[in-house]
Amino acid sequence: MNRGSGFSEDTHAYFDGDRPDAAERDRHAADQFAQATAAFVQGEAVPGREVDRAVMAVIRAERRQSAWRWFIQPQVFRLRPVLAAAAIFVAAVGISMFGGGSAADPDGAGNALTTVLVRFELRAPGASAVALAGSFNSWDDEAVPLVRGSAEDLWTVTVPLTPGEHQYLFVIDGEEWIPDPHAHAQVDDGFGQRNSVIIVAPRGVVRS
Amino acid sequence: MCLHSEAVNPSDGALVRKVLDGDTDAYGVLVTRYRTEFARYATGLCGDADSAADAMQEAFIRAYRSLGSCREPEKFKAWFFRILTNQCHNVRDRRKAHAPLEVVSTEAAEQADDRAIQNDLRRAIRTALKDLTKEQREAFVLKHIEGYTYGEIARLLDEGVDALKMRVYRARDVVKRRLEELL
Repeated sequence: MNRGSGFSEDTHAYFDGDRPDAAERDRHAADQFAQATAAFVQGEAVPGREVDRAVMAVIRAERRQSAWRWFIQPQVFRLRPVLAAAAIFVAAVGISMFGGGSAADPDGAGNALTTVLVRFELRAPGASAVALAGSFNSWDDEAVPLVRGSAEDLWTVTVPLTPGEHQYLFVIDGEEWIPDPHAHAQVDDGFGQRNSVIIVAPRGVVRS
Repeated sequence: MCLHSEAVNPSDGALVRKVLDGDTDAYGVLVTRYRTEFARYATGLCGDADSAADAMQEAFIRAYRSLGSCREPEKFKAWFFRILTNQCHNVRDRRKAHAPLEVVSTEAAEQADDRAIQNDLRRAIRTALKDLTKEQREAFVLKHIEGYTYGEIARLLDEGVDALKMRVYRARDVVKRRLEELL
C-alpha cells in the first residue's frame, strides 16, 4: 500500500526516520543526530528584533527619498480616454485664453533611478549605538542605525543607494562622527574633517 | 469572529495590499512575522547568526522593493521564502570568499562542561551542514531544524513530497556520517 506516490508505506517510514535502522551503529548515529539537532534548535543564536529595526529604518529612509523623487521624475499616469480628452480640451482653452508659452516636453526616456544594496560595517568596541549618516540621507544621524553582530564589536547595516558617489560617516553613540577606516577614499569635508566616499556601480552589491 | 481575527492578526494579503497603498508600517508587521518564523532557517542556511541577519535584512529590503511583482499577495510567505533562500546562499557564498565561517563564539565554548558539550554539538551540525548541497541544506534545515512537515516543505519549495523525502534522507545520511567523525 502506498500514499498515492511511487513509494511504499515502508519506504516512507524509512525516509521519515520512523523505522529504526537495523544496526546498533546506526542507532548510535541516530542518537547523536537527535542530540545535535536538538542542541542546534535550542542554543543557536538567531537574528532578533534588531533586523526589524534596521529594515524599517532603511525602508522609511528610502520612502522619504522616493517621495521627493516623485516630483522630479517623469511619471506615468493611467487615465480614462474621455477624461484625457476633457483635460486636453481644458488645457487648450486655458492656453488660448492666457497665451501661455510652450512647456518643455520630457524626453520620456526611462531614467528611473535604480538602487544597489550596499553593506556597511564598522568595528566599534565599547559603542552602545552606531548609525550611518551621509549625503544619501541628508546626514541624518538617526535614520539608519547599524545592527550589532554576535561578535560584540562588529556593527553592520545594508542600505539601498543610487549609483554614483556618496559621502558618509559613522556616528557613535549619537555623538562621535568618524570616517570609515576601510573606505576606498576619504575627502575633506570643508570643515577640517574627512568624509568617507563610496562609489556605487549600477549593478551588484558594493561594500564600503 | 472572522472580522476580529483579521483586525488583530491581518493576513499576508491584507498587509501586502496596505504596503502597496503606501502604509509602510504594515510592512513592519510582515518583517516581524517572517523574521521570527525564518530566523533559524536562515541561520542554518548561512552558517551563523550574523550572516543570517545580513541575509534577512537584504531579503526584506529586496522584497519590499519588488513587492509590486508579488502576484499573489496571499502567498507572500512562499514568495518571500524564495527571496530569502537565494539571499542566504548569496551571503554564504560571499562570506566563503572573504572569510572562514567558523568564527562564531568559539571563545565562549569552554565556559562550562554542559555548555561546552552543547556548543560542540551545535558546531558539529554547522560543520556537517557545509557538506550538503544547497538543495539538501534547504530541505534538511526545514525538516530537522525547523520541524516542518513534508507537506509544508513541499508547498514552500514547490516540489513533490517524494523527491523531498529522498533529498532529506540523503542529507540526513551525510550529516549522521559527519557527526560520527566529529563527535
